[in-house]
Amino acid sequence: MSGRSGAIFAAILLAIAAGAMAIAGANPIAGFGALLHGALGGERQLSETLVQTTALLFPSLAVAFAFRAGLFNIGAEGQLIVGGLFAGLVGASFVAPGIVAIPVILIAGAVGGGLWGAVAGALRARFGGSEVIATLMLNIIAALVANYLVVGPLHAAGVAGPETSALPVSSWLPALLPGTRLTIALLLGLALAAGLSFVFARTVFGYELRAAGDAPAAAERAGIDLRRTALVAMTLSGAIAGLGGATLVAGVLHRFNVALSPGYGFIAIAVALVGGLDPLRIVLAAFAFGILQSGSLSMQALAHVPKDVVAFVEGLAIVGLSARRFAGARGSGH
Amino acid sequence: MGDIAGFLQLTLVKAAPLIFAALAGVVCERAGILNIALEGGLTAGAFSAVAVSYATGSPIAGLVAGILAGALLCGLLGVAATRFNVDQIVAGTGLNLLAAGGTAFGIDVVFGAPGASPEVHALGTQGEGVLIAAALALALALQFGLERTPWGLRLRACGENPRAVLSAGLDPRRIRVYATLLGGALAGLGGVFLSLGELDLYSDGMTAGRGFIALAAVIFGRWTPLGATAAAIGFGALSALQFVLQRAGVPSELMQALPYLAALAALTGIVGRARAPKADGVPFDP
Amino acid sequence: MSGDTQPALELRGIVKRFGSLVAVDGVDLTLTKGEIHALCGENGAGKSTLANIAAGVLAPTEGTVVADGAVGLVHQHFELVDRLRVWENVVLGREPRRGLRLDANAARERVRALATTYALDVDPDAIVETLPVGVAQRVEILRELAREPAAILLDEPTAVLAPKEIDALFATLRTLAARGTAVMVITHKLQEVISHTDRVTVMRAGKVVMRAATRDTSIDAIARAMVGGELPALAARAEVALRPSFAARGLHAGQGAHALRDASFEVAHGEIVGIAGVEGNGQSALTDAIAGVLAYSGELTLEGAPLRGNPAARIAAGVRVIPQDRQREALVLPWSIAENVALGDQSRPPLRRGLTIDRGARDALATSIVERFDVRASSIRVSAGSLSGGNQQKVVVGRALAHLPNLLIAYQPTRGIDVGAATLVQSQLIEARNAGAAVLLISFELDEVLALADRVLVIYRGAIAGEFSRAGFDRARIGALMAGAA
Repeated sequence: MSGRSGAIFAAILLAIAAGAMAIAGANPIAGFGALLHGALGGERQLSETLVQTTALLFPSLAVAFAFRAGLFNIGAEGQLIVGGLFAGLVGASFVAPGIVAIPVILIAGAVGGGLWGAVAGALRARFGGSEVIATLMLNIIAALVANYLVVGPLHAAGVAGPETSALPVSSWLPALLPGTRLTIALLLGLALAAGLSFVFARTVFGYELRAAGDAPAAAERAGIDLRRTALVAMTLSGAIAGLGGATLVAGVLHRFNVALSPGYGFIAIAVALVGGLDPLRIVLAAFAFGILQSGSLSMQALAHVPKDVVAFVEGLAIVGLSARRFAGARGSGH
Repeated sequence: MGDIAGFLQLTLVKAAPLIFAALAGVVCERAGILNIALEGGLTAGAFSAVAVSYATGSPIAGLVAGILAGALLCGLLGVAATRFNVDQIVAGTGLNLLAAGGTAFGIDVVFGAPGASPEVHALGTQGEGVLIAAALALALALQFGLERTPWGLRLRACGENPRAVLSAGLDPRRIRVYATLLGGALAGLGGVFLSLGELDLYSDGMTAGRGFIALAAVIFGRWTPLGATAAAIGFGALSALQFVLQRAGVPSELMQALPYLAALAALTGIVGRARAPKADGVPFDP
Repeated sequence: MSGDTQPALELRGIVKRFGSLVAVDGVDLTLTKGEIHALCGENGAGKSTLANIAAGVLAPTEGTVVADGAVGLVHQHFELVDRLRVWENVVLGREPRRGLRLDANAARERVRALATTYALDVDPDAIVETLPVGVAQRVEILRELAREPAAILLDEPTAVLAPKEIDALFATLRTLAARGTAVMVITHKLQEVISHTDRVTVMRAGKVVMRAATRDTSIDAIARAMVGGELPALAARAEVALRPSFAARGLHAGQGAHALRDASFEVAHGEIVGIAGVEGNGQSALTDAIAGVLAYSGELTLEGAPLRGNPAARIAAGVRVIPQDRQREALVLPWSIAENVALGDQSRPPLRRGLTIDRGARDALATSIVERFDVRASSIRVSAGSLSGGNQQKVVVGRALAHLPNLLIAYQPTRGIDVGAATLVQSQLIEARNAGAAVLLISFELDEVLALADRVLVIYRGAIAGEFSRAGFDRARIGALMAGAA
């Protein structure tokens, strides 16, 4: 949407948010104030905002990557969870210097997420099955599988909650800001965004992916294999989301448990759209949504506004942004 | 024998919200609107029904509220799709998120505490039975309506070629919006069944992806009301199976995953490649 | 009919703007009962827009439409619901009812009655998508006639008909006119205008530039009015020595009514082979099979070696296709001209350098295409979607001819573009042939095929029905074969 209609739309969303706050019996000014203070009010708050930004960045890049190839990856949440699960299992199973352990753990996460994405990709490539339905189903299946594993067979001995064993400290992601939860994962995410931007703009692979998304009939005639593209795109998209899950496990929680993600994979859809599917703009969008995520907790604690109003407004934002036509392979989604 | 009757009954109870949602999906998609906000419709319906029953003490008022809430949510999709030519899948995803956030917010605001509502006046076992019968009756009525009435002909034409409908002097956009209102009402009714029929409260996330299983049922059922209903009953049986198999010691999560795995299997087209309505999900821009 | 002077349809001062584009710029037009009126003009002249306004589908920005009853419109690309039956399509919106239900029997009766009255034979229960194109057109005509219109407009109705069916259509239109309906035919087939119509109106750039009684004018005069001057000339054919290039043996592809059955033919370097046929007789299956996007059985050879593999392999082997639908199958509309130019060659040098696209090489290629093919664009960075149809097609043709192909398939290369661009594209095909390319031209316009081809093959129901060389083009015989004569 144009700058002007974008501004009007943002204003409408703000008004609706204010209205929701009022309905909750809170003062909207206090609500917004608590949100902003909670997100940006100090070094600790800012670091927490950046933690949320990082957590959103990976799945958002994943969603955008698939979207550019003409695929709806609504399954970033499930891919993130499976990636985190793989990372948690691998990470807890051995001790080694960080320089070795961390890449292994992150790769495990990418592999887990990639496999999860590949299931949907294969259903689409081989059978033409809708990746929308596939990824939605896989989200739920991922949560169920994770639940089962962490309560049952993979439950960490001697721990009360449903989680796997903790990672050895040497395998934790180094902190970027000492004393905070902010780790080098942020740098990894930024590098990934820059890398994807290059891939889309300059490489043959990115060109073919975009062609498959923007004009599938023309792409096919130009020699691009649409089925293979679907499989590769969903796998890579899942891998990126899985990598995000691994950074949450190795950087924030230091173990895998079912509370890994408060829905990052779904908010990522909004972030990807607000960022116009462009990796660099997604970084900015992730920061904006990171503010919402970290601030919403303060908003709830201090101004007594239920944090779910943020999810509500994010949903509304997605509906508003759906007016942007995403060309190419959509159609029936079947 | 009693066990079998019990199993059948449980099947229908588990299937009923799926039937309503699947019928909603059929109506919308046959008209050309790919409605993945069925989940949101179920959520909105389930929550509104409990909220209004809580406020008024009347489950019937809750029923009406649930129907209206579902219609409103899916109607938004219809308007967005016809007036603004949005990407229907993206808009549907947004509506689902909106419904999830909005109802979680609503629980806190209306009931004072997050997570779940207290128990409210519900429809009881009798009401549950009436709704199940209504679901099956609606399946038959919609099958008849789509195939044999002028309304059905026009709706089907909209889903195949809205230009042809325009040429015939009708307004395909209006027909599509009405279809989403009807579909939303059905989805809302499915939600009412969940919260006021099967239970007597609303808890966060109680819809648990049923709206998406319903989409799979639509495909399985080849976009016909009776077919989708049969598929929904099949999914309901899988859910009911959980309880049987759980007693046999099979882990509950893996059992709970059965319907979703079945939906994945549906995508392989083992049921045969039926074709979606030609204009399903395609924005109509005259 | 004499004595009945009330016009069936009157358009007064019609103006239609789409944003800043003026599609119709002050048009007056009157249709009289009993007349067949031709509306001629180039692509983009505003004819279809005017017809939609006359039929009430579009509202005019200014001006009034006065009709003595309903106005029916039969579209160039039928607006029927393929998966429904004939009777369902015909009564849509005006369904006979019995209580809550559709009265299917009454509907079938209605269709049969109309079919008899207007001698348009059709089975009410047939599913539209199973019908041949000529019969499907009758369904759309019947649908409009069911409204008992004062005037009926037909947009390019003969584009999809064989010569014999064209005669039948005009006979039907004469019957309609005799019964008091005004008939308007939008067409660019000037021979038909002269043979079958009573009055002609020519539009150019949204305005009316000529009105005449058909008997007072000629094909030349109409053509000149359409173009606004002399027609550009076609490139000259050179004497070329032929060398074998491409051969197809026993080609079967596709399924159903539009399949290709057992096609065998050759195209040599230095010749244009034209495939003449009515739309829907297997041309798409033929193109798609050779291009590698449709599975087929049979043998294809190129330069003595088997032609196999996916589309990328075939492009690498020197097969280039100008597809039928440039906006969907050839271009990525949101992308720039430069980015579009790389499509098809992106995975090989020189446009590929390692893992990346060589932007310098790509831009140089785009610039050379824009110059060589006279693409009217302010730069190579503008989006393909912002170009006119003619300029889009020039980009597509330029890209296909950037390096002389071994086999060029041109499928409807001048569809929907103005005469100037069309002549340029046709000239480019001749020049490619002169330079030694093997060109396979597939077109639904018999005139175009006859003008360009060295040899003509007629395609009917997926098989090659006859072959003619340039010295012996027999138009009548070709037309008969196109319609299925033995």
